[in-house]
Order: sequence, then C-alpha cells, then structure tokens
Amino acid sequence: MIQLKDLSFSYLKSDGSKVSETPQLNNVNLSINAGEFVLVCGPTGSGKSTFLKALNGLAPSFTGGVIEGELIIDGVNLIGLEPHEFASKVGYVNQQPENAFVGDTVIDEIVYCAEQLGLPISEIKTSVEKISALLEISDLLERPLATLSGGQQQRVAIASALVAGQKILLLDEPTSALDLEGASEVLRVLQRLSSEEGVTVLLAEHRISRVIAAVDSVLVVHGDGSVTKGPTETQFNDSRFAPPIIELGLKLGWKPLPVSTSSANKKWTETKPKYIAKTPFAPTEDVLRVQNLEVNFGSVEALQSTSFTLQGNQITALMGENGSGKTTLCWAIQGSGTRTKGSVITSKGETAELSSNERLEVITMVPQRAADLLFLSTLSAELEESDRFAEVKPGSTAKLFKSLAGRIDTSIHPRDLSAGQQLSLVLAIQLVKQAKILILDEPTRGLDYSAKHALAIQLNSIRSADRSVLIATHDIEFVAMVSDRVLVLEDGKLITDSTPIEVLGAGSKFASQLAEISNEQGLISLEQVQL
Amino acid sequence: MPAITRAAHLLSANKTNPLTWWLAGLSLAVMASLSSNVFVLIGICVASLVTIKLCRDDSPWAQSISFYIKLAAIVIALRVIFRIIFNLGSSTKDAFLLLPSIDIDFGFGNALKLFGPISQEAFTLALLDGFRLAAIILAVGMANSLANPRKLLKSTPGALYEIATAISIAINLAPQLIASLGRVRRARSLRGQSKGIKAVTGIVIPVLEDTIDQSMGLAASMSARGFGRKGNRSNTQVIGARLLAFLAICLIVTGSALLLFSPEQQTLELVILFVGLVAAGFSVKLSSARATITRYRKEPWRLGDVIILASSLALVVLAFGGVFAK
Repeated sequence: MIQLKDLSFSYLKSDGSKVSETPQLNNVNLSINAGEFVLVCGPTGSGKSTFLKALNGLAPSFTGGVIEGELIIDGVNLIGLEPHEFASKVGYVNQQPENAFVGDTVIDEIVYCAEQLGLPISEIKTSVEKISALLEISDLLERPLATLSGGQQQRVAIASALVAGQKILLLDEPTSALDLEGASEVLRVLQRLSSEEGVTVLLAEHRISRVIAAVDSVLVVHGDGSVTKGPTETQFNDSRFAPPIIELGLKLGWKPLPVSTSSANKKWTETKPKYIAKTPFAPTEDVLRVQNLEVNFGSVEALQSTSFTLQGNQITALMGENGSGKTTLCWAIQGSGTRTKGSVITSKGETAELSSNERLEVITMVPQRAADLLFLSTLSAELEESDRFAEVKPGSTAKLFKSLAGRIDTSIHPRDLSAGQQLSLVLAIQLVKQAKILILDEPTRGLDYSAKHALAIQLNSIRSADRSVLIATHDIEFVAMVSDRVLVLEDGKLITDSTPIEVLGAGSKFASQLAEISNEQGLISLEQVQL
Repeated sequence: MPAITRAAHLLSANKTNPLTWWLAGLSLAVMASLSSNVFVLIGICVASLVTIKLCRDDSPWAQSISFYIKLAAIVIALRVIFRIIFNLGSSTKDAFLLLPSIDIDFGFGNALKLFGPISQEAFTLALLDGFRLAAIILAVGMANSLANPRKLLKSTPGALYEIATAISIAINLAPQLIASLGRVRRARSLRGQSKGIKAVTGIVIPVLEDTIDQSMGLAASMSARGFGRKGNRSNTQVIGARLLAFLAICLIVTGSALLLFSPEQQTLELVILFVGLVAAGFSVKLSSARATITRYRKEPWRLGDVIILASSLALVVLAFGGVFAK
C-alpha cells in the first residue's frame, strides 16, 4: 500500500541551507501493507508529526523544507505533489479537530472532502451513510459541531477524512486531548476500520499503553533521522517512550514481552512478583483553603459549591472527564478566573484580590496551552527573562529546563520546539518562581514517558521543599506515579477526595494499567514493583 | 417588542447566507463613502451596531463589537487631530480655534506650517471625514461579526486556489485574533514580565503566532481534503484563470479606490469597476469550466437574505443617485 524508498526530509533555514547536518528523516526505507494498523511512536520532538505529514505532502507544503526519494502509494510515486493531490487516497486527522473544521454541522464537515473531489451527489449520499454508521455518528449528522464532545468531534474528523473512500488514514495524536472514554471510542473505531474495512491506519500517539495491544506493528521515529518498523515486541528497547506494560515486562525480564493486559495478567499470576506498599508523603500545614467555591457561566453550573484544603508537601491530582470543570476550578483557584461565589484563601490572602504579580509570589500556574506564555524570539532570551523576573541566579531556569527536556540548542525559536519541549520550558519558567502552590492544567499532554518521568522527579523535589502541587489531568498512569491524594470532579461536582490507591486501584473506573495487570489491591504504579 | 424580536430572529446570523452580510456590509460601506451628510453617516454607524446587537449569535467572531467601536473612535479622533496639526492655512478671519502656528523651515521650498488658526469649516470637514471612515469600519465590522467565517470559507470557489486561500485565511484572521487575544492576555498574567521587556510584545507575539498557526492549520486541513485541486483542467486553463482573476482584482480595487477618492467624476470609474466584475465572472467561469467540485447541500437563500439584499441594493442605488450626498 505504502512504500518508502530512500525517503529523506530536511528543514531549511531562511538562507536555503539545511537546518542540521542530519535530516529529520534520513533515507527511510520501509513498506506498510494494506489494512495494517501501525502505531507511530518516538520520543518527544523526534519528528512523528513530520513523518506523517511527509506521507500526504503537508511536509514540505505547509512546513517548509525539502523532500527527496520515493513515496509510492498504490504503485504510484507521489513524491513532491501538493497535499490536495493526495486527498483522494490519504485521509489526515490532527490533534485538535475543532481547529480544522470548515463546516458548521456534522454533515457539512463530513461531505467537505467529497465535495472538493467532485464526487457525484448520489455517491456522496451512500458514502455518508456508510461512514457515519461505521463511526457511530449517524444520529449526530444535523448537530452543530460545537455541541459535540471531544471524542465525537474526533470521530467526525475521521469520517471526513475517509468519506471519499480513502484507504489510508494518518492520525496525529488524535486522542491526546480526550478523556478516557473519548480516547477508547476513537481507538475502537480505528481498530474496526483496519480489521473490517481494510483501511491502513497510521496512528501517532504518546499515550500508548492501551493502544499497543490493538496494533499490528510499531513504527519508531528515533529522532536521529532513522525510522524503523517491526512487531510490537521488538520495538521498545528504547524505554524513553515505552508504556508501563512494556516497562514492567522489561523490568521483570519477561519473555516474550506481553503487550496486552490479559497476557501480562497471566504472566503476573504465574510469577507473582513482589511489590512494596505505596507510602504517601505526610502533609504539612494548610497552604490553601477553598470555601464554597461556585462558578456559573450564564445558566450553566460549571462548578457547584466546592470546599477543600491543600496542604504543603503534597501532590494532589484533580481528575474527571472533559467538561467536568477541572480547568474552571484551576482558574478560579488561581484567582483570575470567573467566580460566582466562595473564597480561596492563601497565606497572602484571597487570591482574587491579589494583583497578578502578588499572585505569582504565592501561586503559579501552567495553563493547557502552555505556549501562550512564550513570547521571545529565542530559547536563550526566554530563559534569561525568566531568571530576571524571578530574581534568581542566572542559569537557574536553563538548568531546570535541561533536567526536563535534555540539552537543546538555545538559539532556536521557542515556536520551533515540539509541544512537549514547549511545555517543559513553561514548566521550568514557572517552577523557578518558587511559589508555594503550583497548579498544572493537563501538563502531560504531548509528553513521552521519559519526559513524564523527568517531570515526576521534578515534582517530587518540589514537594519535598514543602510546596503543594495541584495537577488537573486525564493521565491515570501519571497520577499513579506522583500523587498523594486524588480529587474527582463529575459534572462540576467534587465526588471523590481520596488516596490514589483507592481511586486508581484494581476494579475502579480509573484503574491504572498496573492495577489492571496485577489485579492486586494496593499496587498502582511501576515504582512499587520489586525485583 | 415582539415584532423586532421576530424580525431579528428571521435575520439572525445562523439563519442567513454568510455572503448576505458581506454584501450588506459592503453596500453600507459604499453608501458611507458616497455621503457627506453627517446624519447619514451617524445613521450608518448606529444601524450597523444595532444590527450586530440584534442579529448576532454567541459564536466567538460575534464578540468583537467593542473592538470595532474602539477602532472607529480612534479613527475619528486621529482624523481631527491630524487636521489640527497639519493645518493647511485657514485664515484667522473665520477661525474657530485660535491656535498659535509653528513654522518649520527646511531651507528649501515652502516652510511646513503646523497648527495655526483653524476655521469651523475645516474642522467640520475633518470630523465628517472621520465619521465616514468610522461608518465604513463599522459596516465591515458588522459583516465580520455576523457572517460565519467557516461557512464563508466553505463557499469560496476552490478554482481560484491561491487567491481564495489567501482571502479566506485573511477573513478568518480577524475573528480568531480577537478570540485568542483574550486567552493570551489571561495566560500572560500567569507568567509576569520583568521591567526590561516591552509589555506589548508579551501579548502581540503569542496572539499573532497563534492566529497564524491556527489559520495555517485550517488551510492545511482543507488542502489535505482536496481543496484547490487542479482536477482535470489543463495547466493553460489554470494559469489563464489566475491571470484573469488577478486582472479582475486590480480593476475592481482601482475602480473602487477612484470612486472613493473622487466622488465627482463617476463614469470612468464605473466602467472600470464593471470591466473588473465581468473579468472576475469570466475567470470563475474559466476555472470551473469542467466542474471539479460538487455542492452536496447548497447554502439556501432564505427570506431574510432577500430582505437584507434588497434593502442594501436599494440603499446603494439611492446613494449613487446622490440622495445622501448632502
């Protein structure tokens, strides 16, 4: 179906020279069969997106750069063509469907590609019926796109990408912004498309623990220009992006490496590995008190009356589905968000009454779109500005950033960093301010497992400095790794305030992968497993 | 007032063709540019604002009304201030503001005269100019607030690929800019800014980058779904259509500019404008000679559209007839 022969891709500087000696993709040779379900993974910033975009002409058309070699789809070499010439063969879905929508209603959006390709109306009609049934959106056709959940939107985007009978589907992190339910909806339809409809699916993802059991093969973009493809078991010797299930297998030396929860569960019951109990950190004094906090947007109750306190020396996770009110709560606590009633008291007083600079002395926050905080033209300028503002020793931010993201050329423009690297940079900028309370809204979006580990280590060291961290997230594995306490919101209501062992343990709705594999009460994260 | 509510409902933004509001906005703008009656101009401003208020829905691009009001106010103020500073010699006799004048001598030609006494007539004229520009801004603002940019994008002819993409990205830019401005401003206060850094770069750069990123993302998504495909047209047809489109745009822009700046002589300008429109028509015809695009559902023209378009057309005809000139 797809064959790459000596495919190379390099970004260019403004003077026309190549950005680096080694191209982003360097002489890639591989082939993908019809109907194959391929997971594309690799460390943060390795070029997964670029690889996908190279397969339908978006790179270099929309990214700049040069592409060389052969890109054979259906026996025809399509290298160098514009994206619209790929449209009848290749469908493309990106991370945020709402930014890519051209229509107003679901049906408008789905038919767009078929219209552009000039298919006859009768053909579009049958095709819409078929694809909407496949993606379980037949009931939604007349709904405005804005009223759909993230998972539904993403399925509409997939329908729109396949409406003209395309047999190849490229997806760039389609589930990274979705909650558990949305993500599993999308994964389910992808599996069906590949097994029943023979669609070749290339899925780039970071959260892969639940994906790897479903895919036929794994393609790794290593970041040094090389790209390899093979069966799942053989592709994860680089643990930078290996999910917990693989890490567990590697740690315990299991052979063959189990990739599905059920096979890992069998192995676990056979071998009964030892594990230690998770000892929560002892909280110190209260640092923040939320009292009867309520937020309404017009007639919508986004947050019903909520009260709790946060203590020092603690990492508190705030979980809940998309739209449950996590982000609203974060902004209301920080003080600049909308509030209808209630108060949030810190050592400096009510957060809503502080000026923005006073707030930064007691509370810092990293919002969902971390890149909004970046505004200078080089990485080094951003790092220096951060040191200056926080009045810390020059180089402090740079040091923190290096520990999160590794060594990166500081003359680069912050916009050219990957999403994960941008997040690391903003985290470093906020962490260096030394405020007692840190709020993180979906910090692990777009981070690979090694970046998550690095973040966990950082958060642990902040915690021991008697600070309090609140993390709003969907990322169960990350919560299992770092949290001391878990709050769960449902439809704007705080329904759970408990320990991670309770919330993420075997059999619960938010069970971590390790809890599922081991089925042991009291085991939720890999760090607990002993050799 | 149920009658007004009913009418507003009929004309509400999500029930009308997006092209309708652009045509209505442009009609009002043309009317404003042809009028020198301050009441007519104020009438256009008020009409645009009231229409936005009554017909908008709660989409992000409809929230930009305050932005256009501010812009219009700034333009009026600037026009008057410039007239006062670059005063081209009113005589003291009929002066209405007696300001001392400053002469700057460059050593050649006439000295540049700044300030000085200003006559009531000159002042009113400047104010009128300001109001004319403000009315045009608000009329275009109305179109921008009420026309769903996504729908507009969908109905752009894919045949004129590069031009259509550029125009649709540009139209999408303003509403997105306004939407991301609020978000970025809030996010920026989370970081703080040391004294050496200009406050404005902290907002402007992320907003611009974000807006451009989003527009490019949209364009990429459209392109990946076949927008702008050449289809089975020959290269000559494609290039011919583009050249013709370019010519048409040049003619239309020149024609309208001449109309705006010299309202006295109109025959030549109207001919240029007409030739431009004919060329544009031919270009679209040539590009879609072998239809490569299907419309699954045509965006219908409803009663609301007919009412708005008919009244806009009537206003433009009256304006050209000189009814609002004085």
